[in-house]
Amino acid sequence: MKRFALASALLFGMLASASAQGVPPGYPADYQAIISAAEQEGSVAVYSATDSASADLLLKDFRALYPKLQIRYYDLNSTEIYNRYLSETAANAETADVLWSGSMDLQLKLVADGHALTHHSPESAKMPKWAVYEDRAWGTTFEPLVIAYNKRLFPADAVPASHGDLLRLLKERPQLLAGGKLTSYDPEKSGFGFLLMTQDEKYFPQFWELAAAFGRGTGRFYPSSGTMIERITSGEHLLGFNVIGSYVVLRQKKDADLGLVYPSDYVLVMSRVAFIPKNAKRPNAAKLFMDYLLSGRAQKLMANQSMLFALRDDVEGPYSAGALSKELGSRLKPIPVDMSLLTALAPAKRLAMMRKWQETARAQ
Amino acid sequence: MIWLRLPTVVILAAVVLLPVGVVVYQSVLDEPFFSPAARLSLASYAFVFGEPDFTRAFVTSIILAAGMTAIAVPLGGLLAFLVVRTDLPAKRVIEPILLVPIVLSPIVIAFGYVVAVGPVGFASLAVKGLIGFVPWNLYSLTSLIIIAGLTHVPHVYLFSSASLRKLNLELEEQARILGAAPWRVALTISLPLVWPALVYSGVLIFFLGFELFGLPLVIGDPANVLVLTTYLFKLTNILGTPSYQLMAVVVVAIALVTLPLVYFQRHLLRVAERYVTVGGRGGQSGPLRLGRWRWLALAGIVLWLVIVIGLPLAGVILRAFVSRWGEGINPFDTLTLQNFRDLAEHPNLLGSILNTFLLATVGAAASVAAYGLIALVTHRWRSRFVAMVDYLVLLPRSLPGLVAGLAFLWVFLFVPYLGVLRSSLVGIWLAYSVVWLAFGLRLISASLSQIAPELEEAARIAGAGPARVVRDVTVPLIRFGLVSSWLLCFMIFVREYSTGVYLQGPGTEVLGALIVSLFGGGSLELVAALSVVNVALVAAGLVLALRLGVRM
Repeated sequence: MKRFALASALLFGMLASASAQGVPPGYPADYQAIISAAEQEGSVAVYSATDSASADLLLKDFRALYPKLQIRYYDLNSTEIYNRYLSETAANAETADVLWSGSMDLQLKLVADGHALTHHSPESAKMPKWAVYEDRAWGTTFEPLVIAYNKRLFPADAVPASHGDLLRLLKERPQLLAGGKLTSYDPEKSGFGFLLMTQDEKYFPQFWELAAAFGRGTGRFYPSSGTMIERITSGEHLLGFNVIGSYVVLRQKKDADLGLVYPSDYVLVMSRVAFIPKNAKRPNAAKLFMDYLLSGRAQKLMANQSMLFALRDDVEGPYSAGALSKELGSRLKPIPVDMSLLTALAPAKRLAMMRKWQETARAQ
Repeated sequence: MIWLRLPTVVILAAVVLLPVGVVVYQSVLDEPFFSPAARLSLASYAFVFGEPDFTRAFVTSIILAAGMTAIAVPLGGLLAFLVVRTDLPAKRVIEPILLVPIVLSPIVIAFGYVVAVGPVGFASLAVKGLIGFVPWNLYSLTSLIIIAGLTHVPHVYLFSSASLRKLNLELEEQARILGAAPWRVALTISLPLVWPALVYSGVLIFFLGFELFGLPLVIGDPANVLVLTTYLFKLTNILGTPSYQLMAVVVVAIALVTLPLVYFQRHLLRVAERYVTVGGRGGQSGPLRLGRWRWLALAGIVLWLVIVIGLPLAGVILRAFVSRWGEGINPFDTLTLQNFRDLAEHPNLLGSILNTFLLATVGAAASVAAYGLIALVTHRWRSRFVAMVDYLVLLPRSLPGLVAGLAFLWVFLFVPYLGVLRSSLVGIWLAYSVVWLAFGLRLISASLSQIAPELEEAARIAGAGPARVVRDVTVPLIRFGLVSSWLLCFMIFVREYSTGVYLQGPGTEVLGALIVSLFGGGSLELVAALSVVNVALVAAGLVLALRLGVRM
């Protein structure tokens, strides 16, 4: 209810300010041409893996900003977005104007295959470099991967503070998490889980030791953060490794028993990547939506109410890159929005790594 | 009739073969079929058949399918016999409840079981409190088979009860007068007479076993039980980008299973006239008296209801009304209505309910009309086309949910003139109707096979044209089949999702999609709240329908 009240207040405030359809402050004057063209186009279609409930505040605010534009928001999962977009494009049929998904590697694969439109966003300059790929793809959020645990049932003195700690815990007190009490992403069923595995391998030299420890009957793996969190809070599992922080924070509002640790050695950070497809039917409206997602205005919403974790350093709020940096500084390891993501997709290497995971972590 | 027969069969063949055909074609290519780089290749077959996981999953799927058929068919037939033909107590109450498992999406049922009898489920914790340990393990192939079998009893029930209602009661009465016990009447008289309904439902349930996804994912996966659909799920990810050709190979493997199944079905039903029971005469009389078996039968049904509806539904309801649950929590301390308040704020809620309601009522009626047409034009038609139709109707079921949605998207995208259907409720309706064709149609054909030719012949001799015979004789005689078919479609369309996933957009969302989106967003408490609303709405609808005199 509180979220709703805030949103209404905000919405009302926006409607009240008559300058709504003018050029946003700090944008070049010729931006008006894009706005006019977008209003001619009338609407923008977004294929998104951010569920409608989480995106609702942003969408309402965008509507308040550009009341003449309709948003057609398609709530899909990341595989569906990829399949649908690719099929529609191949058939020369109408498709999305913006693709927005946390499956960073699938998004960059489409960009690499030449599907993205180049757009010189006035917001790019205010973005961290790693989050902008050649004016064609942008990271929009800054979501840490955390350790989540059950405060009610897991002994406070055993909560690991880092990846190294977790490994030590599994070695020295294996009984604490024996019998499937640890949970994490399933890289076999989730592409995102696989991507995380490649990143952990990069930053944590003992990653495979950790995987082997999971394999001793300790680990249970799921394709989504939501399932992990539900099972951690119920006590079926006690500790979750690599859970998306924004989901944890959201659940903490309802369940005080859910604990969260930002690993002190390094924290992986994922970002929902957005781009405009070349064959977008409404490119101008798409640009407005893209620029909006990156704008201080949208990022402020993410940092304070949507709990999507804002990416821009100049935006303040409890759920923002700024707030995390104060605490963790250079230990934050954002997964860069660039072609290095594609190495996770190289078939031979991927199959080999998948086998290795099956043999070490799946072995029970 | 020929002017109606051929076009019907041609249209049927088109709507079935287009989605299946595009997938079969994809299976022999090395790239997505729409890619200019695609070349003919059998490499995908070599890859999939070379995977030990595929063989393991295939074998497990056969075991699962056979096991659930062995449980669902006898129990479903027995249940129908008890409800339709005997003086079982509390029938009016039981009838609508029986159908609840069909309404709930399997992934929700599975989640309900986790909350109830999972390792830290409320029932498990209660038992643990009493005897010190949990005497069952939800995560195993055995529980998967039992749960899958028991939750599909209602499907068989619908088939058998529609047949039983039209049976000539005199036969059972005579047996009873001669001193046969109720079970003997059931086995020697009723059973042979509903044989077609049992065969049809048995074949369909077996085949459905190959397509289960939600239950194996939640209940089987933690125990490393891999079935074809969960294997398919892994295949979408194994190369990082979805590899349609690998998925297509699995579909072809499933489709090949239909061939022996339909052959077997035709063999079992070879002499259709044998099952004619709706003749020129035959009156209605009272139900068979169970005597001392009456309460035992009721106890058995209640036990089944507790396992198959009570447990998972209690789990779902509990989850909907608490803020947290599990080990070390007294659920009564965490009661809340917040989940429903949050749900009410969801932007897509009302639209989804409205669309789903439209699809499930008007849409299901339209589907039944189409199924009825197919059943009628092939009825008593001695032609090789009828054999073809028998094989055709089961084919769409070989597309598991993950692939079916994609296949229909491709059909609407790449077949000229179908594009308009792509983001409309009509397109979603068409996809649902094709995928559930076998179930809806077979409910009607089973009823049709009971009707003696002389009834229609008598009408013809009296001067009625073919259309009039259908309207005044055949359709009234199969009304139970038609109503059952509509009920089944109604409930399945309420929960269905994956088939239409790629056809939905703003304005055409359905409840199933909303549930999956909430699942994806991690809001399982909202999934539970929505499922409770869903069941309440359907239950209210069923009760209203019964009040208004709809006979199941």
